[in-house]
Amino acid sequence: MSSSAVETDTPDLVCQLDNVQGMVDALSCVRWKRQQDAVVELSEHGVVLIVEETGCLQAKVYLKRELFLSYEYSAEGRPRFGVSLSLFVDCLNTFSVPGHLSTIEIRYPGPDMQLLLKSIDSPDACIYAEIRTRIPDTISWDYNFEPAGRTPLSFTVKSAALKEAIDDLEWPGSSIQIVVQPDPPSVTFKGEGHGDLQIDFMYYANTDLLIAFHCDRRVCYRYKYKFLRATTSNIPSSVIKDSRGSKLTIGRGGMLKVQHLVSVVRSTQHSHNDSAGYQQPSRIAYIEFYVKPEETEDPVNDS
Amino acid sequence: MKRVWTVSVVIRSPDPVIPFISTLPNCPCIAFWLLHSELKGAKNESHLSINCRVVKDRRRRRRRRREMKFKAFLTDNGVHLLEKRFLPALDKMGRVCHLYLTRDHAIFLHNLLNGDGVQCIAQFRKEALFDDYRISSQNDDRIAFVIDLGLLHRALRSSVSISLEGPTGGSAASNRLQIKLVKKLPSNSRQPMPFLTFETKGYKSAVVQDVPISKPLSRADVMELQSALDMAQDLPQTLVQVPDLLQLQNFVDRLKHVGDLLNVSITQYGDLHLQVSTTLITVGAEFQKLRVIGVRVEAPAGDGGASAQSRTEMAKQRGEALSVQVSMKHFAKSLQCHLTKPDSAFYGIAAQGGCLTVIFQFFIPGTRQTDKSISLHCRLPVLDTGSS
Repeated sequence: MSSSAVETDTPDLVCQLDNVQGMVDALSCVRWKRQQDAVVELSEHGVVLIVEETGCLQAKVYLKRELFLSYEYSAEGRPRFGVSLSLFVDCLNTFSVPGHLSTIEIRYPGPDMQLLLKSIDSPDACIYAEIRTRIPDTISWDYNFEPAGRTPLSFTVKSAALKEAIDDLEWPGSSIQIVVQPDPPSVTFKGEGHGDLQIDFMYYANTDLLIAFHCDRRVCYRYKYKFLRATTSNIPSSVIKDSRGSKLTIGRGGMLKVQHLVSVVRSTQHSHNDSAGYQQPSRIAYIEFYVKPEETEDPVNDS
Repeated sequence: MKRVWTVSVVIRSPDPVIPFISTLPNCPCIAFWLLHSELKGAKNESHLSINCRVVKDRRRRRRRRREMKFKAFLTDNGVHLLEKRFLPALDKMGRVCHLYLTRDHAIFLHNLLNGDGVQCIAQFRKEALFDDYRISSQNDDRIAFVIDLGLLHRALRSSVSISLEGPTGGSAASNRLQIKLVKKLPSNSRQPMPFLTFETKGYKSAVVQDVPISKPLSRADVMELQSALDMAQDLPQTLVQVPDLLQLQNFVDRLKHVGDLLNVSITQYGDLHLQVSTTLITVGAEFQKLRVIGVRVEAPAGDGGASAQSRTEMAKQRGEALSVQVSMKHFAKSLQCHLTKPDSAFYGIAAQGGCLTVIFQFFIPGTRQTDKSISLHCRLPVLDTGSS
């Protein structure tokens, strides 16, 4: 918590956002169960929201300052607070009116360390919300992602295809093996449980599904199905509609990083300099999941 | 009665009367009774007097037991009002309601006799729905019963579809939709049951649909219903007009996740303030500068910078605002009335915070004049007067 806010009465952050739905989409993406606590970190670069589950799964939503209409940051250090993700998303949802452009102001902290939200488009009708914040839980920082070896092991797959594959793997169940190999260049998802299911993405066969592929050696790790599922279960429909790709990277020790891009574009795209169809790259929220591999008794390591 | 008149005309000269009357097997006694004084010299006087007594008895019985009857034809406008607008909305207020028919009005009433839900009163002048409206009952021509709105809606919908069938949609005169109160013996029952019957004649078919209803309310219950209805007509001192009912409904739909209790404050200078508060979150909406009907004051100058909560609090202290707490569910339900397509809606808080009232206004189509033949309002029970 920044002390400057209390002394000078200037809030740490006052920002305005004109696409509430985009923010709801981005935050919903990391909402894999009903009650989830999140930690929000503010900085001069933007807002990061972090959600974690039992030391095995962590998700981060990066909302860069460019996503906001205005972003006035006046804290020192990086103030952090805890908030209920479900409340935050439900609350933001009340501000998003379908077919109507709504602009909101977000302010932190309020007089009682609340997170304050307020609609600012109409002078005579105002929606406001105050969300109580908590002193944040400590975040485990052992999700430091380091590349294994010299070249990063990564592939990019259509988000829709990834979601479909992971949904299909529900049937075999609990533990899913991901194999990435250079020869033939392919990615394999394999589930063994009530039955076996193997889903192969061949790089040369489906270049429209597997968009990019970097691998110089075979690796194989197992991940808990429910954690893999959390990475795609709430991908917003806009991601599927825009036919975006998700990037998966396997790092040291088998740590899996899944990255999605969610557009937080203005609902009416008439702003300055935007030629038709061109989306400003800055109008993207980055979502990252880190999934730890299962510890197997017979380790299939990166050789 | 008709027969009696016919006879009385014939009877000017006494002689042919007796043979004539004997040809009327169904009504000789009535005729005799009418002309009793003129027939004193007749030979079968004793016979006459017996008949006469019978007639008098029957008349007395009739007077005592004036039959409960209701029969009317729904107009096209009435069908449209009910089928497309009111029944869908009223069904959302609660599946069953009282239908209360009087000489001039048909009224749908929700929760008037059993206290705790949203009271909803939809009143139609008979001309708004019916023509050829006939009602009679021993209780000042008032009939009330409980009806299932879902069934009523279904019957009406299919009646409409039948009357629309055929190449030209049928002529207006032949496919009128008749609605009447009947008692019938349902299959697998020995007890005759009351029904509201819809009769439609389509191009090729005629269909009768029976909507089961409760036994008509007793005289005492009708009295109670009437007095509850009279009590529910009180208007709040100040009413504010909601600018956009759909937008409000949208907002409340999303607010439902947040909490179950809604604080509603209304100021005399046209502010409507809704707020849900739990230990973790407070969400509210403030609508300012709304149209005010009734007691109003000028908005205080220069508190634009204060928060909505503190502005409301100050107005309450000055006695220019009332605040109540109602159930979020009730509030959302009352908004379902937008399905009736009202032209405007007003919120007000009854004196001493007795209840939250919503009044819907309907214009005569194509004008800005209130259609006085239709009225709809809801009263939401208050959970806390908010004064503490």
